[in-house]
Amino acid sequence: MKLLRRRGRILRVAPGYNPNSSSLGVDVSFLLFGSVAVTALSLVVGSAVRLWRRRAGPPGPEGSAP
Amino acid sequence: MRPDPPAPRETRDGDPRVAAPSRDSPPEVRPAPTFRYERFGGIVSLHRPRGLAYVDRDYARSIGFPDSPLWQGEAALGDGPLAAPTEVHLVVSRRCSAGCTGCYVDATPDGPALDEAEAKATIDRLAEMGVFHVALGGGEAVDLPYLIEVARHARRRGLVPNLTTSGLSVDEPFAREAAQVFGQINVSVDGLGDDYRRARGYDGFDRAQRALRLLRSHGRHVGINCVVSRDNADRLAPIVAWAKRLRLSEVEFLRFKPAGRGAGVFEDRDLTPEQGRKLYRRVLFYALRYRMRIKLDCSFAPMIFAHRPSRRVAAFLGVMGCVGGDVLASIMPDGQWIGCSFGGPPEGRFDEAGIWDRGFSAFRDYAARAPEPCASCDYLALCRGGCRVVAQAHGDWWQPDPGCPRVQDWKAAHPGTPIGSASPRKLRVVS
Repeated sequence: MKLLRRRGRILRVAPGYNPNSSSLGVDVSFLLFGSVAVTALSLVVGSAVRLWRRRAGPPGPEGSAP
Repeated sequence: MRPDPPAPRETRDGDPRVAAPSRDSPPEVRPAPTFRYERFGGIVSLHRPRGLAYVDRDYARSIGFPDSPLWQGEAALGDGPLAAPTEVHLVVSRRCSAGCTGCYVDATPDGPALDEAEAKATIDRLAEMGVFHVALGGGEAVDLPYLIEVARHARRRGLVPNLTTSGLSVDEPFAREAAQVFGQINVSVDGLGDDYRRARGYDGFDRAQRALRLLRSHGRHVGINCVVSRDNADRLAPIVAWAKRLRLSEVEFLRFKPAGRGAGVFEDRDLTPEQGRKLYRRVLFYALRYRMRIKLDCSFAPMIFAHRPSRRVAAFLGVMGCVGGDVLASIMPDGQWIGCSFGGPPEGRFDEAGIWDRGFSAFRDYAARAPEPCASCDYLALCRGGCRVVAQAHGDWWQPDPGCPRVQDWKAAHPGTPIGSASPRKLRVVS
């Protein structure tokens, strides 16, 4: 539990890019799968984030924020 | 005048589907992920898979980001607006000769447009703020000869440019370059064949379809935007099936908005209450049946939450109502910030400092003062009262969205009781 707390949580995933120049579109397809979608997205996105960080090395004091 | 584009390649003899991207197409631009600090932790912008991941402070620390001055005191996601929008809609032009009857920016052939230097300066400002995505639209942005260069500039500054277009001006050279530089391109198609003409007021379906085939032949991330109105709400399945045949990556359904020329025809095109209630289940069914990625725009949030999906799942997926002045904002051709392309007060010029921190109260303040039935709704924190622009069209910016099924039920259960308003000047009700 302590380890989980230290690793933190992914709070939200907004999949894809939004091309619409007027409003924000949300992918309702994922709502079909409920908690399964949350778990699957957390795993996939978490792996991608950690892979990026392993390859990128330590960030500067302000991270790699644009 | 651009030359007629060649016919698209086909995958198999007689197969009407569009070819996969050609080997001759330039490789897609794939930038590195970026991270932006937020009070609750931070946001990672990923490009494979594509998306934004909001993470808490512990997670940010666990991937190597040191504590930020923003992390003083406790803060949870949703406690306040983001440090900057994740996405900005840059209305590069109000210039368009198509003359769509419902155009929400009231575009005309000689409407104003940002010049190249202004557009690049705007993008520079967005990059300084830490914005991740910029959606270029108009008007018809493709008609601007410097559009591709502006998109390249966005890439150079670390932003992902995305594009909405009518497709009327898309030709082979443009499609080839656009597929390389834009993250996602959607062509506006509000119906097939004659439905397109009825929705837009001119016969442009074949040209839109040709544009989609061209764009798809050079890139994978091509979809359609479809405005759902009373006319086409019961005929969405053929649109999704057609998008599937063209091998498009997504279909985004948008609610008809009473903005620009759309304000004049809103009463005739707004969904009936029955259509509004059915929309969400229909769309989920089409997503399953056609195995197509389907998006609903933020103004449809009340129609989604009326079906009581899991709040935890909806929050995780970012299913929210009005996110103007928070997750997204717009910059108009005169350089003014505005919370949403469809409406709201101008907040100041894009290059003025501090606007993001002090402005946008017309969008941010609804939930805290929401009247019934929003006040007692389990989904208020996500829905945020639905679409402010639709509410404004019904008489009061600060009233609950009249298209919300729950609001309609409340009105039916309280005949003669006027619905309240979240206006800061309060003390008045709208009927």
